[in-house]
Amino acid sequence: MDQKKRDRLSELVEELTTSGEPQLNQVKMKEVKKICKLSSDYINHYYHLIMTQLNQDHAEIRLSAFQMATELFSRSHHFRVLLVTNLQEFLELTVETDVEQPLPPPKEVARKLKTHAIQTVQAWQATYGEAYKKLALGYHFLKQVKKVDFQDVEARTLAERKRQEEKRQRLEKIYNEKFEKAKQEMEEMAAEMEESLTQMNSCMALLVPDTFDLFSVEPTVGSERLTFYSGPERDASIWDEQPCCSKDLSRGADGRMTEATKDEEDEDSAVEEDDTDAADKVTFIRNTGLMSHSYRLDLSISTDLKVKETEENEAVLNTMRDLHRLITTRYLPMVQSWIQIFTKVGVEEQLMRQAISLKKALEKALRKHRDLNVDYKKRQRKVIKAGDDDDDDDDFEEVPEKEGYEPHIPEHLRPEYGLDPLPSTSTSVAKSNPSEPLVRAVAPPVASTLTRLKKKLRDEEQDPTSAAATLRILKERLSSAPSTSKPICNVGQDQEEKNDCMGVSKDAAAPTVSRSEQTEEKEKAPIIPFGVDLYYWGEEQPIAGKIIKYTSQHQFWVPHEVEEEVENEDLSAQMKSRHITFAGCFQPVEHKCKALMPNGSLCERQDRVKCPFHGLIIPRDELGRPVNLEDAARLGKEEMKRREEQPDWWDPEFMKEIEAATGEDLGSSKTYGKGKGKKRKHHNLTDLKQTTNTSRLRLEKKVFNKSSMRRIAEVMNKMDKKKHEKFANQFNYALK
Amino acid sequence: MLSFLTARQTGVHDPDRLRRAESTRRALSLELNHDRDVERIHGNGVNSIDIEVIERRYMLSGGSDGVIVIYDLENTSKKSHYTCKAVCTVGRSSHYVHKFSVETVQWYPYDTGMFLSSSFDKTMKVWDTETLKPAEVFQFEGNVYCHHMSPIARKHSLIAVGTTDPKVQLCDLKSGSRIHVLQGHRGEVLSVRWSTRYEHILATAGTDSRVRVWDVRRASGSLFSLDQHNGDESRTSSETVNTAHDGRVNGLCFSHDGLYLISTGTDNRMRLWNSATGQNTLVNYGKVTNESRKGVKFTVSRGCGPELVFVPCGSSVAVYSLHTGELVTMLRGHYNNVDCCEFHPDYQELYSGGKDCNILAWVPVLRQPDIEDEGVGCTRGGARDAVNPAFEDAWSSDED
Repeated sequence: MDQKKRDRLSELVEELTTSGEPQLNQVKMKEVKKICKLSSDYINHYYHLIMTQLNQDHAEIRLSAFQMATELFSRSHHFRVLLVTNLQEFLELTVETDVEQPLPPPKEVARKLKTHAIQTVQAWQATYGEAYKKLALGYHFLKQVKKVDFQDVEARTLAERKRQEEKRQRLEKIYNEKFEKAKQEMEEMAAEMEESLTQMNSCMALLVPDTFDLFSVEPTVGSERLTFYSGPERDASIWDEQPCCSKDLSRGADGRMTEATKDEEDEDSAVEEDDTDAADKVTFIRNTGLMSHSYRLDLSISTDLKVKETEENEAVLNTMRDLHRLITTRYLPMVQSWIQIFTKVGVEEQLMRQAISLKKALEKALRKHRDLNVDYKKRQRKVIKAGDDDDDDDDFEEVPEKEGYEPHIPEHLRPEYGLDPLPSTSTSVAKSNPSEPLVRAVAPPVASTLTRLKKKLRDEEQDPTSAAATLRILKERLSSAPSTSKPICNVGQDQEEKNDCMGVSKDAAAPTVSRSEQTEEKEKAPIIPFGVDLYYWGEEQPIAGKIIKYTSQHQFWVPHEVEEEVENEDLSAQMKSRHITFAGCFQPVEHKCKALMPNGSLCERQDRVKCPFHGLIIPRDELGRPVNLEDAARLGKEEMKRREEQPDWWDPEFMKEIEAATGEDLGSSKTYGKGKGKKRKHHNLTDLKQTTNTSRLRLEKKVFNKSSMRRIAEVMNKMDKKKHEKFANQFNYALK
Repeated sequence: MLSFLTARQTGVHDPDRLRRAESTRRALSLELNHDRDVERIHGNGVNSIDIEVIERRYMLSGGSDGVIVIYDLENTSKKSHYTCKAVCTVGRSSHYVHKFSVETVQWYPYDTGMFLSSSFDKTMKVWDTETLKPAEVFQFEGNVYCHHMSPIARKHSLIAVGTTDPKVQLCDLKSGSRIHVLQGHRGEVLSVRWSTRYEHILATAGTDSRVRVWDVRRASGSLFSLDQHNGDESRTSSETVNTAHDGRVNGLCFSHDGLYLISTGTDNRMRLWNSATGQNTLVNYGKVTNESRKGVKFTVSRGCGPELVFVPCGSSVAVYSLHTGELVTMLRGHYNNVDCCEFHPDYQELYSGGKDCNILAWVPVLRQPDIEDEGVGCTRGGARDAVNPAFEDAWSSDED
């Protein structure tokens, strides 16, 4: 036996069994077989290697080893002899014959191994059972003692089968319930859906008088190319076969042409009946004026319609939009869910067909709607207000518009913006009588549509969220700016009166100038809340800060100097002064945290001192690295510390996998700790410890840890003691 | 072989020598033979088997389901393949069947017309083989672990019975009653054995780790109890005084000549005792796995050069050389614990029964053809291969 080959064999077996793959690597296996074929010594060695691997406490290793054993079992007699002599152990390790030796985790792999092994044993028994007695014995053992059902390997135990059956029944019941519900729902809703479909269709018909029935054909038939051949083979059936639009078109839209064709047709047929000759041709030309028997007619019909919402079609469009929404959000999902349920339950064809046709109809309606390309106006949500609209009309305050404003709105677009046409009554009103009350009754409606529009506009303006309202506000503000004279004047007069009180002389000669100055000053003046100092503003305070001292506390006997007033400087000062805490000016933060974030960008937070996510804000460069060296060192240290405190669930291998899948750096590549966790030997195998790390165990670790137990014990003891303290003066408790 | 034959012919060797040499060879080459099967009757573990001594043809077996089966071991069909057929069965349908597990079965030593069985249903039954009806039923207070009847006794027909009761019961077949109790054990009695040399000598073993040797003529008590340390004071602590094992002692067997007694215990040891003095011979058999809570039936070969002891060891049968303690071989074939084994002294065959419901026959391998008839051997080998393609290798060509 070649030592090198032997080593190679060991190596191969090791590699194959620890691969963790569900299937063996064929290339490696072939090499193994090649080595084993050389001599039975290798097979001996191989056998021992396999048995060692089968004894490992890992189902994946066992599965691979088992697969390798089956590979050689079918080939080598020597291997069969070896394996069959030790079949007990083999079965124990693969089929779980010994109750005390369950198959190791992971569970799914173990289950797979077991079913696989049982099937294999059966196959072996079929081929080699006669020749190897122990194999037959083993098979019988499995069959009779272990009651393995070789026919039904999947659902092994009776209980399992029962459970499955129960589950199936439950599901069926649920499905049935669902089905009943859907059926009922369908019965109720179908009529409603039909109705809305009809409504939608009629809406569309109203919008686009679809005489050509353009939408019934596929939209690809945009431009129809029709070729008429005046040949004998042409007959009426061809007409019928043509798409209806062409027929309608040629008959209705271009009547003259059709007539001509008809004539020609008749003529033609007559001509064809006779002999075809040049002379005939001449007569044909003469008769019809056509140069040829065959001609082509190209028609292009544009189907990309664009329906614009106007006042006329508004109602129709509204209905249609509602219907559209209803269909997309309600009917279509409903029908789809029905169909799903029906397919799951396997219902009779009738219902299914009905549901499908319904769905098709709905979809068709939607498609048509899309083809219409309806250009809806921006719809504002209407807020229903309490109170009648007519009352609103009366209260409505129309602000005169300012001339020259909104230069960017061209005149012809004004109606679209919901503005009044430019011949501006409003401006004239504003100009002619600025002092008149601005409240103006709405003019009586000239045309019903106009009133409706206006009403709608008003409604919209009532809604603060609508664009119209904003517009209105805008208008008001702009118009008020030049024409504030009156209200401001009022305010100014008030101010003057006040000023009179305060003893400020009023310049009556130039009121306008002074007013404007005043306003300027007023704007400069700070606004402060009312206080005691203002109360006593400019007054001499006779009593402020004086305290009357009562030296005697007696009721009747009063000393000689009855009242002594003491002037308290502080207090009097307080009366006249005001404390304003100066907190400094607000300085907006201009720096950013700029720490590098996992997604590659920099932290945008603008905290003053400390970022809640990245700690103290330190100067960083464009890449997020600290500028100062000591900062960098400190951060590095903190990082290390944090890494060491990684929670248990943090599995670098798993993270690496995720990284490989997503291509994002989650930080698994960084090594941390001091080489504490030794490297796992086989990376491909499922980590068994992973599975033991359950939430329960983690909790246990916390709850049953020694220090916490001690702490709790102490607390409990203390509570116990307290109970006794009550009776501490009694000797038996005092002694404790 | 030829030299043995010539020596026997010329009278150089004494008559026993050839026989012994051949039977030893055969006993050493036991293996599971494809040609020999035992019919599967038991639907549960086989607890006890016994081969009768008159013809050595019929085998009795008792199963955990209370079924008792009698097999015919004789192959009269003149074919190499033979399945031992069940001659008769006391099945579950029988009115007289034991309710619970049959622990011990034994033929009446002088006649095949009668056999005994004891069971966990607290009874021991004496059966008439012809009618398969119990001739006598002994009722006990506790489960019966074992019983034994002296194979050589001519002056008495006593049956020793070990039950959950520490007292060993003696039943007399003559009177059909329990005539005597032997007091001395402090635990359940798991195994009882009559000496194969002196008809009044009885050895009993129990859960109190003791093996006691009795002379049933003596009323006062046991003759002695076996001590694993041979009375060595320095190694004897107070608890282990006079104990044969450190755990339960659940198997006893006298050698064929009755000079030695072998015991097994749950301390996974087997010990060989001088039955006359009760001395531990200190033969080291190594570890003999034994976790049984009940009695274990094992057996010793007969007429072999070095005597062999066949003892159940987990799911296999271990073969030891009796006096040297050397492990000769392990007979692997059962898929669960083996409970009992019985040696057929005429054909050097071994029958073993285990919890996997099988009774396996271990048959000596035929002597290989000698060098002289090499050609014949080759053709026979070739023929055999041709007959059974399963023995051929099947390497596919693409593995080259």
